[in-house]
Amino acid sequence: MAEAHQDVPAVPTVEVAELLPKLDGGEKILILDVRNDDEFAEWKLETRKPFETTHVPYFDFIEDAEGSIAKVPKGRDVVVLCAQGGSSEMVVDMLGEAGIPSRNIKGGMVAYGDFLDPVKVPLTAEEQARFEIWQINRRGKGCLGYVVRSGLEAVVVDPARHIGWYEAFVGKLGARIVRVLDTHVHADHVSGGPALRRKIGVPYFVASGEEFELKQDVTPLADGEELRLGGTPGVSIEVRILKTPGHTPGSTSYLVGGKYLLSGDTIFVASVGRPDLGGHVVEWGQALFKTLKERIATLPDDVVVLPAHYASLEEMRADGVVAGRLGDLRRNVPEMQIATAEEFVEAVKAAVKTPPAAYTSMIKYNLGLLTADDEKIGEWELGKNQCAASAKKRMAIPTE
Amino acid sequence: MAFKKLDVRGLKCPIPIVKAKKEIDQLTAGDQLEVTATDPGSVTDFQGWVKTNKHTVLKEQREAKDDTGRDVYIHLLERIK
Repeated sequence: MAEAHQDVPAVPTVEVAELLPKLDGGEKILILDVRNDDEFAEWKLETRKPFETTHVPYFDFIEDAEGSIAKVPKGRDVVVLCAQGGSSEMVVDMLGEAGIPSRNIKGGMVAYGDFLDPVKVPLTAEEQARFEIWQINRRGKGCLGYVVRSGLEAVVVDPARHIGWYEAFVGKLGARIVRVLDTHVHADHVSGGPALRRKIGVPYFVASGEEFELKQDVTPLADGEELRLGGTPGVSIEVRILKTPGHTPGSTSYLVGGKYLLSGDTIFVASVGRPDLGGHVVEWGQALFKTLKERIATLPDDVVVLPAHYASLEEMRADGVVAGRLGDLRRNVPEMQIATAEEFVEAVKAAVKTPPAAYTSMIKYNLGLLTADDEKIGEWELGKNQCAASAKKRMAIPTE
Repeated sequence: MAFKKLDVRGLKCPIPIVKAKKEIDQLTAGDQLEVTATDPGSVTDFQGWVKTNKHTVLKEQREAKDDTGRDVYIHLLERIK
């Protein structure tokens, strides 16, 4: 059985892109999760409607095929999930031999973590005639990037490292990428910005602040500067550069058409950015407070905040977009109501959690100070860092 | 008592466990098998597997670098019955 697995004909599969909308819509699909207990506990699929899961680790199928197969509910639409799609493929094959049809989620949690879901941000009719904004939702990580198109030109903001996807996507919109922007030096994922710049030769911008060495080829942008996007007579939109230090010293927000604020990790729909990732929580916390009180405070209530992250799908609106009206955030986000810098710093200090170890590597990588192959980057981004850190702690202790 | 080594570098799950089980099945009580893997997921996978497998224990796990500088995870298994 075991060795034969490598030569078995392809089993039925389902792509993450096909499965997620079905689960979101509440289709009755049973997910048989065959990862080990730790991985199962640490990282789960998140969908808009709850789904049913049965958890039986794949090595149980290897040890006790019959007993494990018996745990799989009968007569259900079963899809099998593992970390990378290999163990689930084996289990689909075993179930098939036992007469239980099922499908393998191709690429497993890795594919889920890499999956990019473009969602169109609703605009007014007048705005639609001039531009469009797409929120690129990396569901598995809760990361949000953006594509803003006007006429034949598009800017990409906070791209993930899957740069071919952005080229194809913008191509389908009938435009070309003319500029790539990052809102800040990301810590939780590898930016696709520098790679896109190298590949298509367009200006790229990210700011690190003076504390950090930045070895990326950037085209500097000044606070208040306006980029005009269009390329077709009469059709254009301006993107204003707003320096919003705090989450990081170089954090920059982009205000599209005076109304849509690509806020990076400065403000989210349900919170504000954590200013502790650089180890200077007091200084950066004070900077973030200043940004909120002096910068964000000057923007009208009608501004639509389009952040770079969300923590839960509850932050997603019914139309699938993660966004909030600034006026609502002012009323609802507790951190935005704090009156003094001292109280604000105390509040953010209290919320500080130890960041995953790989964040340091990813910051260095994004600054251009470190290189790594795709496999290593995949481990960092997967939260394998958490596993590596926890793996270290929990490694079996030598006996005698 | 035999001491065997199994190299599963570059292989992803389920292959490290599948191959280790195959080797362990050939051994007798007291024999040891040292598995060298590159998949970080193998750490918790081996811990989980020995809970299900009734005749194998995990004596030790450690991280190291192999001769090509790659991070490897070494799992020392012992057949107990």
